[in-house]
Amino acid sequence: MNFSLASTDEQRENLDSLKRKLGRAWQSVGALVVFAAMLALVAISTPTFIGNGGITIIASATAPIVMVALGQAMVLNIGSIDLSNASITVLGALLLAMTLGPLGGLAPVVVIIAVTLFGAINGLLIAFTQVPSFALTLGTFGIFQSAALVVSGATTIYVSENGGLISVLFQSGIAGLPFTYLLGVLVAVLAWLFLRFTRPGMAMTAIGKNESGAIFSGVKTRWLKVLAFALSGFMSGLAGIAIIAQAGSASPMGLGSDLLLPGIAAAIVGGTSISGGVTNPINVVFGSMTVALVPIATAAIGVESQAQSLVYGIVIIVTVALTLSRSSNSIVK
Amino acid sequence: MTKAADGAKTTAPASQSAGFKNTALGSFISRYAETLALIGALLVLVLIFSNLNPRFATLENLQNLLNQAGLPLIIAVGATLVILIGSIDLSVEGVMSASGMAFVLMSANTRGGTDFGIWAFVVAITIGAALGFANGFIFTKVKVPSFIVTLGMWYVGLGIATIMYGTETMPFLVDDNLSTWASQINFGLPNNFLLAVVVAILGALVLRFTSFGRATLAVGNNEEIARGNGLKVTRTKIVVFLLAGAISGVAGIVATIQLGAANPTVAAGNLFITIPAVVIGGTSLAGGKGGMLGTVLGVVLLTTLNNGLILSGVSPNFQTAVSGGILVIAIIATAWSQRGRLRISK
Amino acid sequence: MTDKKVAKTPVLVLDHIEKSFGSNKALKSISFSINPNEVIGLIGENGAGKSTLLKILTGIYQTDAGTIEVNGKKVKFRNPRESVASGIGVVHQEQSLFTNLTVAENIAMNSGSGSSASSKFGFYSWGSIFKTASKTLSTIGSKLDPRAIVGDLPFVDRQMVEIARAISVNAGSGGCPLVILDEPTSVLERHETEVLEREIRKIKEFGSVIFVSHRLDEIMRNCDRIIVMRDGELVADRLVTDVTEAQLFKLMVGHEARAVSHVRKGLDNSEVPAIEVRDLNRSSKFSGVSFSVRAGRLTAIVGATGSGREDLVRAIFGAEKIDSGTLLVGGKPVKNWRIPKAVKAGIGYVPSERKVEGMIGGLTAAENVTFTHPGKAAVGPFLIPKARKKIAQGWFDTLDVRPNDISQELGRFSGGNQQKVVMAKWLNSPDLRVLILDHPLRGLDPGAAQTVNEQIKLACEKGAAIILLADTLEEALEMGDEVLVMRDGEVTSAFDLAKDNPSTLDLLERMV
Repeated sequence: MNFSLASTDEQRENLDSLKRKLGRAWQSVGALVVFAAMLALVAISTPTFIGNGGITIIASATAPIVMVALGQAMVLNIGSIDLSNASITVLGALLLAMTLGPLGGLAPVVVIIAVTLFGAINGLLIAFTQVPSFALTLGTFGIFQSAALVVSGATTIYVSENGGLISVLFQSGIAGLPFTYLLGVLVAVLAWLFLRFTRPGMAMTAIGKNESGAIFSGVKTRWLKVLAFALSGFMSGLAGIAIIAQAGSASPMGLGSDLLLPGIAAAIVGGTSISGGVTNPINVVFGSMTVALVPIATAAIGVESQAQSLVYGIVIIVTVALTLSRSSNSIVK
Repeated sequence: MTKAADGAKTTAPASQSAGFKNTALGSFISRYAETLALIGALLVLVLIFSNLNPRFATLENLQNLLNQAGLPLIIAVGATLVILIGSIDLSVEGVMSASGMAFVLMSANTRGGTDFGIWAFVVAITIGAALGFANGFIFTKVKVPSFIVTLGMWYVGLGIATIMYGTETMPFLVDDNLSTWASQINFGLPNNFLLAVVVAILGALVLRFTSFGRATLAVGNNEEIARGNGLKVTRTKIVVFLLAGAISGVAGIVATIQLGAANPTVAAGNLFITIPAVVIGGTSLAGGKGGMLGTVLGVVLLTTLNNGLILSGVSPNFQTAVSGGILVIAIIATAWSQRGRLRISK
Repeated sequence: MTDKKVAKTPVLVLDHIEKSFGSNKALKSISFSINPNEVIGLIGENGAGKSTLLKILTGIYQTDAGTIEVNGKKVKFRNPRESVASGIGVVHQEQSLFTNLTVAENIAMNSGSGSSASSKFGFYSWGSIFKTASKTLSTIGSKLDPRAIVGDLPFVDRQMVEIARAISVNAGSGGCPLVILDEPTSVLERHETEVLEREIRKIKEFGSVIFVSHRLDEIMRNCDRIIVMRDGELVADRLVTDVTEAQLFKLMVGHEARAVSHVRKGLDNSEVPAIEVRDLNRSSKFSGVSFSVRAGRLTAIVGATGSGREDLVRAIFGAEKIDSGTLLVGGKPVKNWRIPKAVKAGIGYVPSERKVEGMIGGLTAAENVTFTHPGKAAVGPFLIPKARKKIAQGWFDTLDVRPNDISQELGRFSGGNQQKVVMAKWLNSPDLRVLILDHPLRGLDPGAAQTVNEQIKLACEKGAAIILLADTLEEALEMGDEVLVMRDGEVTSAFDLAKDNPSTLDLLERMV
C-alpha cells in the first residue's frame, strides 16, 4: 500500500513542480508574450495599422491604464485590493481641470498631494482598524464617486486656461510615444527598483508573502500598508493627469471613468499575484499595453466592441485561475 | 498542544458567570438587541425627516419609499446568503443586466420578435442561476477568491447584456400592465416590495428550517469544523451562489419592468445599496452571523435615508457617498472589538 | 450497576499498534484494552506519543501495523467520521462547536454525516432534534437548554456541549461509547474542574473514558487505571490503587536524575540585567511573573501545557499584550511594547511556528538572513545585493546549511536547515542583547539540533541573554544557567544551576 501512496505523492509533487515552473515562466515573460501575440494579430489583420501611428495610439491608450495598474499592483503586492483607485483617478482629473486655470503650474502638485492623501486615508483605515480591504475600498469607492459627481455637478469640466502645461505631456513625446506613456514607464521602473532594492519595498513584498512572518521579523506592517495605498492614490492621480493631457477635460462619466477592471486585468496579466507577494512593475506595463490593445484588437478581428466587458471579465478570471498558487487545504473566501 | 490550549482559552467569552445567557430567553434578548437598535434608528430617521419636510410622512411618499426599497431588498436576500458563508457577490449588477435583457427581448417589446410569455421569466431566472453557478463553481473548484470571480462575472454579465442589446434601438416593453406592475399598490404596499418581502421570508425559512440553510450558517461560522463534521461544504457554497444568481435574475426582471425597457445599465448603482444594507443589518462580512430580518431592516433604513435626504433637498449625487460611508462605518464598528496586534486582515 | 465486571466485550482493544513518520517511529508497539465503564488515564511527557495515539483512535492517522477492535468489531478508520460512527467521541482542547448554532444542533452533528439523521427531504425537524438533545443532556446530568445558542454560553457549558456531543455517538447499537477527553482541564479554572469530574463519573455509568491530562492529582482522582507512555512505548498499565504519584513520575521520565556536568558561571549581581520583568500579568495567561536574565546567561523556562510560558516570552518580545507589571530592557522600563520596538532594542525571537512566524518562505534564504538586521547588506533604506550574498554565504558555510544555495526560496529547505537560517537572521545583528527561543529544536534532525545548540552557546558567550523554552527537561538542564518552572501562569520555582542540582523529577513535580 505504501508504494501506491508514494507514487501519487510523487505525481502530485511533479504536478506542483510543473505548476511552479509555469507560474514562474508566466511571471517573467507571460505579459510580453501575450502582448506580442495580440500585436501580431492586429498587424496581420490590419497591415497599415503600425505604419499609421498605431504604436502612438496604443501608447496613448495605455497611459492612464498603466498608472492605475501600477498603483493596483502595489496594493495587490501586500495582499490587499483597492477598488477605489479608478474613482480617485476621476476625482483627481476633475480637480485638476478645475484648478489648472486659477493655480497654473501649482495645480498638478496640489492635486497629486490630495489624491495621495485619499489613498493614505484608505491605508490608515485598513491598517489600523483591520477591516478587509475590498469592503473598505468598496465603501470609499462610493464616497469618491459621489464626490466626483458633486464637485462636477455631474457634467464635464473643461480646463479653462493653462491647459498647455499639461497637454504637452500628451502632444509631445519621443519616437511617437507620448510623454504620458513614458511617464508610466518611468514610474514602473522606479517601482521595480523600489521593490527590489529598498528595505521598505522588500518588506512590502514580505507582507504579501507572509504577513505573520513579516510582523515577527520586526516589520512595521501597518505603516507599510498605508504607504502601499498612498502609492495607489498617487498613481491614480498621475492617471488623472494623463486624462487631462489627452482630453483637456474631465467628467464623472467620460474618459477614465471605467478604469477599475482594466487596471486590475492589466496588473494580473502583468504577472501580479492576487494573494500577494509577487509583482513585476515592468511586466505590468506590458500587461497594460495588452489591455489597451483589446478594443483595437477586437475591432481588427471584427468582434463588436460590446464584447469588451465580456473579454475583460473572462481574462481576469482565467488569468487568476491559472496563476493562483493554491494549496489544497487553504480556505478561500 | 500548547497553542491549542491558548487558542481555546482566548475563544472563551469574558462573561464566565453569564448564567442568564444560558437560557433561551437570555439568548433571545441579546440576539435581538441589534434588531431593536435598527428599528430605533429607523424611527429616529423617520422623525427627523418628517420634521424637515412634511411631505415625507405622507402615505404616498411611504409607498414610494417602499417601492424604492423593493428591488434592493430582493438583491439583498441573495447577497445575505453569500455573505453568510463569508464570501461576497459583486456580480449582481451584471447578472441583473443579463437576465433583464433576456427577459425583455423574449417578451413583447418594441423590437418585435416573439413573445415567449412565461418562458421569458424562466429563461431570465435560469440565466441568473447559471451565472451564479459559474461563480460558485469557479470559486470552489478552481479556488479563485470570491471577490475576483464575481468582479469578473459582473463584467461578463454586462458584456452578455450588451451583446444581446446589439446595435438596434432600446427595446421597450409593450405590455402596459407589465411595465407598471412594480408600483401598483396591493394591500396598501407596492407590488415589488411585496415580492421582496416574500423572497425575504422564503430566505429566512430556508435558513431556519432546511439542512441546507443550517449548513450555510455552519460553513460561515467555521469551515474547517464543518468539513470535519461531514457537512458538504463545497456543495453548500455552490448552491448559495446559484441561489444568489437566481435571485439576481428575479431582480433583473423587476428592474427592467420598473424601467419599462431593457438597457445594460439598468442595474447600475444597486450594489452600493445592497452590500451596506446587509452589513448594517447585522450580517457579518466574516460569515456565520446575521439573517434576513436584519437585511430587511438594513435595506429599509438605507432607503429611508436616501429618500429622506432627497426630500430634504440634498442632491442625489450624494447617494453613493451615504451608502459607501455607512458601509465603512459599519465594518469598522464590527472590526473594532476584534483588533489584535497579530491579527491578519487583508 | 454491579461492581463485579462480568466478562463483557471490551470497549477497545489495541493490539501491537505501530506508526511511523518517515524514519521517526512515533508508536513502537502499543497494546492495551479498555473495559466498559472504565476510566483510563493516559499520561506521558511531550513527544511520548499520546497525541499520535489519539489521532489514530479518532481516525486522523492510519496505523502502519496492528489491529483495533471497538466493541468486539475489528475496525480500520479511514477518516474521523468512521471513528465517530463506531462509537468513539472526542473532546479536544480546541473548540469544535459552531458558535452560531443551537446546542441541540451541535450535539446532533455527531450522529452520522452532518444532520442528515434528523431531516426529511432537507427539512429540519426541530422537534426531534431538540428531543434527542434533551435526552442526551439529561444523560450527562446537564441542565442546559438545547435551544440556547452556543456562542452565548460560558466556556464550561460549551465543554458540556462537547461532552454531550461526544457521547451521542453510536449509543444506538447497544455498544459502549468511548469518550476521549484530551487535556480538558488545562483550560478550566480550578473550581470548574469539579463540574468536569462529576461529568466523568456520570459518563462512567454508561460508557468508558480515556482521560488525558498532565495533572497527576486529577488522574489519580478520576481514573480506574493509568497508562503511561514514554518514547512511543507503553511502559506501564497499572490500576490506580497499585501505584503512587512518585512512581508515575519515574515511569514518565524513565530514569533517575541524570547528573548534568556543565560548568556554570557564578552570578554577577552588580550588572544591570539585559532583560527583567517585575510582576508581569496577562489575564488568564500568566500572573505575577518576576525574573531577570543578565548578559551572557541562559535562563530556561519549563512548564506543561497551559503553563503560560509561551505567552510570557511572546509578551516580552512585544507580540502579546501585557496587562500590568513592568518590563525593563537594559535596566530601562518600557511602555507600549510592540515587536518593532523590541527588535530595535536588540531582542530576537525564534518562534515555535517556524513556517508561519519564523521565516518568510517565499523569499530566498539570502533575503531571509539579511531581512531584519541587514548589516552591510543595506545602506540606509537601500539594499546591496552583493553584500547580501556575501553575508548569507558566510552564514551558510558556518552553519553548514544544505543545499548550499542562498538564492533558493527558504520554503523549499528542510525544517532543520530553515531553522539554521532563522537563527542566522537574529545572530546577524551586531548587537543582539536578548535572544528568545521557543521550542527551537522541535522537528529538527540531530545534526541541525546540534548546530542550533552550538550557536545558542556562542551567542551566550558573545554576551546575549538567552531565554530558552526547551522541548525536554534534559535540554533545559543541560543548556541553562538558571531554570524557572511555571505552572498555571505562575513561576513556582527557580533553580540556579551553579548552586542547585535539580533532577528532571524535581522539575516535573513542580510543573504538574
